[in-house]
Amino acid sequence: MSDYQVINSRLPRLDAPAKATGRAVFIDDMSFPGMLHAALLQSPLPHAHIVRIDTSKAERLPGVKAVITAKDAGLVRYGVSPARYDETVFCHDRVRYVGDEIAAVAAVDAETAEEAVGLIQVDYEELPAVLTIEAAMAEGAPQLHVEFPRNLSAEVHQEFGNAADALKASDLVKTTTFKNKRQDGAFLEPPGCIAVFDLDGRLTLHSSTQAPHYVQRTVAMVLGLPVGKVRVVKPYVGGGFGIKAAANTGELAACLLARKTGKPVKFNYSREQVFMLCRARHQFVHRMTTGVKKDGTLLALQHECYLDGGAYSSFGIATVYYAGSLLGGPYKLPNMKYDGWRVYTNKPTCGAQRGHGGVAARAAWEQQLDMIAEELGMDPIDLRLKNMMQAGDVTCNDLNMSSLGMRECIEAVRNSSDWASKKGRLPKGKGIGMACGFFVSGAGYPIYRSDTYHCTATVKLAEDGGTVQVYSASAEIGQGSDTAFGMIAAETLGVPLDSVRVMSGDTDFGVDLGAYSSRQTLMTGHAVKEAAEAAKRQVLDALAEELKVPAADMDIREGRIVFKNGPVDFSGIRNRYIKEHRGWSDSPQEDFLTFREASRIAYLAKGTIVGTGKYKPPLLGGKFKGAAVGTSPAYGCSAQVVEVDVDLETGRIVIEKMTDAHDCGRAINRTSVEAQMEGSLAMGMGEALFEEVKFDDRGRVINCDLAEYKLVTALDMPPVEAIIVESDEPNGPFGAKEVGEGAIMPTIPAILNAVYDATGLRIHELPLTSERVQAALKAARAKK
Amino acid sequence: MILPKFEFHEPTSISDACELMARHRGEARLLAGGTDLLVNMKKKVLNPKRLVSLGRIPELTQVERSNGTLWIGAGATVSAIAASAMVARDASALGLGARALGTPLIRNLATIGGNIGSARPAADLPPALIVYGAVLVLRSVAGERRLPIGEFFKGPGLTAAHEDELIAAVVIQVPAGYAGAGYLNLGVRKAQDCNIVNVASYLELDGRAEVIRAARVALGSVGPTPLRSPSAEAVLIGQKPTEALFDLAADAAQRDCMPILDFRGSAEYRRDMVGVLARRTLTMALAEARSRN
Repeated sequence: MSDYQVINSRLPRLDAPAKATGRAVFIDDMSFPGMLHAALLQSPLPHAHIVRIDTSKAERLPGVKAVITAKDAGLVRYGVSPARYDETVFCHDRVRYVGDEIAAVAAVDAETAEEAVGLIQVDYEELPAVLTIEAAMAEGAPQLHVEFPRNLSAEVHQEFGNAADALKASDLVKTTTFKNKRQDGAFLEPPGCIAVFDLDGRLTLHSSTQAPHYVQRTVAMVLGLPVGKVRVVKPYVGGGFGIKAAANTGELAACLLARKTGKPVKFNYSREQVFMLCRARHQFVHRMTTGVKKDGTLLALQHECYLDGGAYSSFGIATVYYAGSLLGGPYKLPNMKYDGWRVYTNKPTCGAQRGHGGVAARAAWEQQLDMIAEELGMDPIDLRLKNMMQAGDVTCNDLNMSSLGMRECIEAVRNSSDWASKKGRLPKGKGIGMACGFFVSGAGYPIYRSDTYHCTATVKLAEDGGTVQVYSASAEIGQGSDTAFGMIAAETLGVPLDSVRVMSGDTDFGVDLGAYSSRQTLMTGHAVKEAAEAAKRQVLDALAEELKVPAADMDIREGRIVFKNGPVDFSGIRNRYIKEHRGWSDSPQEDFLTFREASRIAYLAKGTIVGTGKYKPPLLGGKFKGAAVGTSPAYGCSAQVVEVDVDLETGRIVIEKMTDAHDCGRAINRTSVEAQMEGSLAMGMGEALFEEVKFDDRGRVINCDLAEYKLVTALDMPPVEAIIVESDEPNGPFGAKEVGEGAIMPTIPAILNAVYDATGLRIHELPLTSERVQAALKAARAKK
Repeated sequence: MILPKFEFHEPTSISDACELMARHRGEARLLAGGTDLLVNMKKKVLNPKRLVSLGRIPELTQVERSNGTLWIGAGATVSAIAASAMVARDASALGLGARALGTPLIRNLATIGGNIGSARPAADLPPALIVYGAVLVLRSVAGERRLPIGEFFKGPGLTAAHEDELIAAVVIQVPAGYAGAGYLNLGVRKAQDCNIVNVASYLELDGRAEVIRAARVALGSVGPTPLRSPSAEAVLIGQKPTEALFDLAADAAQRDCMPILDFRGSAEYRRDMVGVLARRTLTMALAEARSRN
């Protein structure tokens, strides 16, 4: 077992009792005296000029307290990346998708607010809409944004080495085209918020968000308030997956309405509105050409990608870069050319979702690698091992694999799944497949250009001794980050987790970029560790003076002071402590000096003991345009084996088993690491088999509820064997790196490769619904 | 998605419920489990002024067997039907339909009467009820009448029930020996789905001679109502059950269905699956018939 006292174990989550008993407070549970409820007026048309907005009837409805439009909100442009601030809170001249926001109402209750929205009259002059990538890129196509011609939200052109020459030198060249479908984040809790202005004009926004810091900045910018007057507080959050990583219109509208009415204003997105907000996985079309030598050595990848972006940019610039850059590893690839185009369409806006930008690309390429292995007569695992990078290798696009347990992951899933006795040996209809992948442990740069620390943390020791308070602005959104930081603080200080209290998700606690790009364990973990070390140092320094023992000769472990050079007489401290607590029944009786006594003595000597910590990555990546996207202080990686059963008549795929190994550097909480792996697999499986946001020809989402938008249910989920690999990342706190997103990377291609093994069919379009698979089977039979 | 306002009635007897439905004819709807109705009210698809709840009428929830007849109160929940040993023994295909429906939470609320009365073409219970030749007991202030379930469905959401009539019970003649049935449904995933195709089949054999004496095949989700397949039945009756015969019957069933294309599936796929499910349910029905001699 490890030398650690707290981390690397399986501890119950700090939030488990509250969540198991229903006491955890989410935004929907919260209310304030005099609180108003908001509703949004959203466009019913995919593309139209706004000719006139008449709010007078709505304003006259009893119970309505305010109606706001772009006239009140102003036309401050915002978005995610400052290079593409292409949104305003409300549309004033044009709507660009069904759901584009035009006005908002605050009323005494939600029913009245909804009714008032129905009374707002808008005259539209309908414009032709573009609903597909092809339509948007066609000559003479209707344009969504005058400032972004040809409906191009962003384009990327990169080349590392010389792909064309390398393809010429290749023995085998393979080209495939692959397409996924637009996904929905489908978190359990739709976004919602309550905006409260105090009498001094300071705003507190309680919001279900992944990124309090970015929301704080956007709200301040749009409302014209100093950042210091905006506080964002995150209650418990029911999942985000990337969609809640930026400010949404609901938040901005609630803040504006709260300012106008002087009352707290609440807004909750309905499930239908979640589909219109979207900001989830794009639809990608990938065309990839890979060249290899006869022995399987990878020589080059030439890659083109088109993204259906929807009406605005959101995270889309990063997405189109990630779609290329995340193929730089984990295989040695000397030549890579990438051209990506993100296209505006008159549909809800896509953004970042778990595995940001890289999931469809990974699926396309890992399936193609299997095809190449087959043509070369190689086992797909051997092809991958042959080309695998090692720790310390740098990709052709300058991503540094400072640790890489990829080989260990592959060996683990190969052995655990009994690959050798199954691959190519299963009866028709049964199949086994594998794939690999990797992902960042936190984006190397903030979304806005800045030298800011990516996170700060404060560890304060309660003045009475004994309790450690950890403060950070990080976002616990259900993934278990609070517990991880509690464990890191406990391990660092040498106390049990029980002595630690974690407070997070409040911009008053510092700066933290939030829960996205799988950044918190590594980055916030560093800051918490540094803060805890600072607090510990102060305690030991105080003890050193008190006991006349050098601080270097002492340590704290499991809540007790350790004297490295033999016993020290601490009776003076104990007597002082007991005298201060006359009449108390829990005076320390132990034959060692407790942390409780030591931290009390430190307070008496120095005042409140506060340690602070901070983290930002060193300068990372190359010098080329877009080099920042894909950089990270560390990369998690994983390998997966999937076993399927395909009904050759109905086309139905049943996943029978998934074996997943993930290198997370060092597991802080082993149970949480496994849970992240399982969650990634479920989400990847849904995208592979079932999920697709569908539109009618008027740009309306047809399946905007969780009955018709098909997530994986508990019954669909197969047994999962989750294997943790630990490579001790040099840039991570205690060697830790990501697990939250990397684990999704191999899921889809492993399923695709298993389906091929079962059916002999390569399918290059998701989702693999029964109907799509049956159609392929039928077409293959007809050919014979 | 806020539920609109409505008047709420909770009668405690069938006759009181009939009374309310007669008095508020045209503006009242019956509320059973509410798993369909309340969703449509939230979506503003339906906006009844009054709801007459059937939830407090104990006589509606009886499930009993007497004299070769299975009597299932319309208020019996789908989970009760799924768990009933009597249903599993005497009407196994109905039990399979009940287990295929929704999720445990939905099954705990949804009722057999509601599943029939809402008249959704993809509903899980009607195909099995049709092949068992179930009869509906309808009640109103005018009295009681009985209607074979095959005559009940008129279109999506449309039935032969009068505005003030309620379904009191479903009556099934328990199949004799050498009779069996099967039910299969195909959706996208394993649970909480809207069927793309669902099929029930019933076979009655002529004793040990193993000639098919009676055959009924019902197809769901491939027409405006669940459909009988007279062509498949004609292929089967009077013949010895073989794989080749079931293939012919499956082909015939495909000819009898009239699937539409929608976002859940294409007409072609639905038609193909009618064949697959017809053959598979006939195989299930045969196995059960042989085991029930």
